[in-house]
Amino acid sequence: MAAVLGLIIGVVVGLFVKPDIPVWLQPYLPIMVVAALDALLGAARAYFERSFSDKVFVISFFSNVITAALLVLLGNQLGVGSQLSTAVIVVLGIRIFSNVSAIRRFIFQG
Amino acid sequence: MVKKTKPKKELSSQARSLRTRLLTSLLVAALCALLSFGYVVQVNNTDMTYETMTEAELTRMLSETSTQVQRLEERRTELSRQLTSLQQAADKEAEASRIAKENEESSGILSGRLPAEGQGIIVHISRGSKAQIDAATMFNLIEELRNGGAEVIAINDVRVVTSTYISQGDDGLICDGTALNPPYVVKAIGDKNNLQNAVNLAGGVGSRLTVKYGATVDVETSDDVKITQTQSLPDYKYAKTVE
Repeated sequence: MAAVLGLIIGVVVGLFVKPDIPVWLQPYLPIMVVAALDALLGAARAYFERSFSDKVFVISFFSNVITAALLVLLGNQLGVGSQLSTAVIVVLGIRIFSNVSAIRRFIFQG
Repeated sequence: MVKKTKPKKELSSQARSLRTRLLTSLLVAALCALLSFGYVVQVNNTDMTYETMTEAELTRMLSETSTQVQRLEERRTELSRQLTSLQQAADKEAEASRIAKENEESSGILSGRLPAEGQGIIVHISRGSKAQIDAATMFNLIEELRNGGAEVIAINDVRVVTSTYISQGDDGLICDGTALNPPYVVKAIGDKNNLQNAVNLAGGVGSRLTVKYGATVDVETSDDVKITQTQSLPDYKYAKTVE
């Protein structure tokens, strides 16, 4: 409930505020969004598994986002930024798929 | 005391758990809001993120852009050339229509199709008292006027054009099929002094009319001679314009 409410609030605020993304953040924001999405889906899965812990959710959210951003930063510094961000996206995509399939199994019991 | 403290403790622990639950759900909501906020901002950020591009991509994009600029420049040059040629064509057409209009006017006056006015002279010639004025003398008068630079000439009711003839009829002169009866009024548009001189020349047609035929010749100059007589255009049967 709180999660859905938060998502809606974020969308509304984003639609109305429209801030300029600082230049240094531009390469990282998409990765961070995907990482946060992965954390959210992991939390949803945990919720369905009755093992949801808010503390774990908060920590995993931040660690996911920060790790993804750091990886991209590292890649940029090593000159393989685009490749490494592709790698991060792929890994996060795989995790999102597995989380979604776990959620599906809980919803449809199979 | 014990009874009193125990529920209070339970209550406080309940309140605390409620508060933590509220806090955590608030935190979860905040994080979700952060996520969707970042998503929307990223979606709305339609600027090309040149920051994330590699050098090769940037080089390729630069060359593509400059090629496109070159193509557009070429296209612009071509279009402006077309525009210039179209404008020139339009100018030419306007010029041609202006010339055609001028030609139409001048040839209309020349052929006697249009009435004309301007400075010139009006010659009044009375009936000859010694003899009837003959066609040759009258034609001489016209020729003298033409030599004097007359642009438009009319005798009585007849506009004199290139094909005008004067012939001797049984009881007077005939000009272009119309009988001319004295007194004759000859109007001519042109330089009035030249025309006056052409008629009044010593030994010229004016003095011949006076001396030989006994007619009175009265030359009147005017700044506004109106010649309203017109001739209908002849239908050219044989002559055709050379294309």
